[in-house]
Amino acid sequence: MNIFVSGTIPTVSAVVELSNVSKTFGTVDALAPADLTIDGGEILTVLGPSGCGKTTLLRLIAGLVPASTGSITIDGVGAARARAEKRIGFVPQAPALLPWRTVRANAALLLDVNSAHSPASPSHSVDELLEAVGLSEFADARPDELSGGMQQRGGLVRAFALDAPLLLMDEPFAALDEITRTELRHLLTRLREPHGATVVFVTHSISEAAYLSDRVAVLSPRPGRVTSIEPVALDRPRRPEVEDSAEFFEVTTRLRRALGIGTDSR
Amino acid sequence: MKFLRSVIAPVTGVVVLLLVWEAAVRIFDIQRFVLLAPSAIVSELFDDPGAYWSNTVVTARHMAIGLTVSLLIALIVGSLMAASRFVEEAAQPVLVVILVTPWVAYMTSIVIWLDYGERPILFLVAFTTFPVFAFGVVGGMRSADPAARELLASVDASKWEVLWRLRLPSALPAILTTGRFAIALALAAAYFAEGSALEPRGLGVIGRRAATDQSGGAEVLWTTIFCTAALGIVGLAIVSIAERVLLHWHASQRA
Repeated sequence: MNIFVSGTIPTVSAVVELSNVSKTFGTVDALAPADLTIDGGEILTVLGPSGCGKTTLLRLIAGLVPASTGSITIDGVGAARARAEKRIGFVPQAPALLPWRTVRANAALLLDVNSAHSPASPSHSVDELLEAVGLSEFADARPDELSGGMQQRGGLVRAFALDAPLLLMDEPFAALDEITRTELRHLLTRLREPHGATVVFVTHSISEAAYLSDRVAVLSPRPGRVTSIEPVALDRPRRPEVEDSAEFFEVTTRLRRALGIGTDSR
Repeated sequence: MKFLRSVIAPVTGVVVLLLVWEAAVRIFDIQRFVLLAPSAIVSELFDDPGAYWSNTVVTARHMAIGLTVSLLIALIVGSLMAASRFVEEAAQPVLVVILVTPWVAYMTSIVIWLDYGERPILFLVAFTTFPVFAFGVVGGMRSADPAARELLASVDASKWEVLWRLRLPSALPAILTTGRFAIALALAAAYFAEGSALEPRGLGVIGRRAATDQSGGAEVLWTTIFCTAALGIVGLAIVSIAERVLLHWHASQRA
C-alpha cells in the first residue's frame, strides 16, 4: 500500500481555538494576549526568532503549561481531555528516542502508553510508516546507531502512528543541517497529505514556514506577540520544485519583511 | 592482542601484589596477627576448605537478602522522592543521618532491640545500604530526558507508566553504579554484625573468635579476611555482568 496517496484515509482534523491566551512566568511576560483560530486540516506555522515565546505557545495548546489568562480548546474540549484521549501527536525539538528501545519500539511508544485510547485500527502500522520514511532497515537498530535526521524521522513516525487529528511540532528540524532539514520538510508534507491532520508547526526557518504552511503566525519577541498572520497561497499538493518558483520567493520575502529583517522599521 | 592485555594486565597486578606481600612478611619477619603471608593463607584454606566455604555462603546469604530488601525499599522511597520535591527535601536529611552515623557504634543497640540471631544482621545490612541505593534511584530518575517526559505527558501517560517506561530505565545506570558501593558497605556490615549478633555461623563470627585466639587464630582470621574479600569481588563481578546485560544500550557499555 502506498501511504502517500491522498484520500486513502477518512480525514480527521481538529479545530484549535485560542481566546485571549497569555502566559507570564513570574514577572516575565512570555506571551502577550493572543486570539487565534486554527481551522481543521490547516497547517499553521509559528515563526519567530529564538526566545520569542513560540514554544510556549505550542506548550499552551498542548496544555503542558497552564495559561495565565484566556482559554484554549481543541475541537471544543480542553487540552487535558485532548491529551487524555490522545488527540495530539507531539513532536519535540529533540527526537527524545529512548535509548533502550529499538527504533520500532520507539516509534510505537505513544501507542504503548495510555493504550486504552490508542486508535483501534490505525490507518497505518508502525512498520508501514517506518518504510515510508526510509527506516525499515533500521527498525531493529538502537537510536544511537542513527544519524540526527534519521532519529527525527523516527520522531515523526512516533507522532503519525497515533492518527491524531492535531499534530504539534516544536522546531523538530532545528538541530539538523540545512540539507537534511530541507528533505525532512518535504517528507513531512508528503506524510501528512493523505491524513490531513491539523498541524501547528513552530520554527525559526523562513523556508520551512513558507513550504509547509497555509498560514504563518509571525511572532515578535519579549513578550511574544502575534504581529501578523501571513497567508501562503502556494498550490497543493506541494512538491520540492515549488521552492524554486517566483511565488515561493514572494512568500519568503514577505515573511522576512514581516519579521523585520532587512528593514529599519524596528 | 587487546584481549590478551585485558587478561594479562590484571593478573600481573595481582601476582606482583602477592609477591611483595609474601616477601615483606618474610623479610621483615612481621607478626602473624599483623599480617599473614599469602602462602600461609592458602595452606590454611586448603586445610579445611569446607568450613570456609560454608561460612562464606552464610555471609553471602546475609548480604544478598539485606541488599535485596534495601534495594526494594530504596526503589519505593526513591520513586516517591523523585516524584515530589517535598518528599525529597524531607527525606534527604534522614538519609544523610543514616549514612554518616557510625553503625559500628550502634550495632549493640540493634542486637538488644532485635535479639540475637539473623534478624539484627539482615537489618544492619539493609539499613546501612538503603540510603546509598536511594540516592542512586533519585539521581537516576531525575536524569530522565525532559523531552521524553513531555512527550509522555502529551498522551497523558499515567505516573506508573512514566515510572516504568521512562524513569526506572533511566535510573538503571545510577542504581548499578551505587550498587558497587552498597556491596562494599554490605560486606563490612554483614561481617561486623555477624560477630556482634552471636550467630553460630558466618565469616564475621569465625573472624571475631579467631581475633582473640592466640593459638592459630591469626591463620583463621586472615583466611576469613581473604574469603570476605573474595566474596566482595564476586559481588562486584555480578554487578558488572548485570551492567553488560541490562545496560547494553548505554554509552558506558560501548567499546
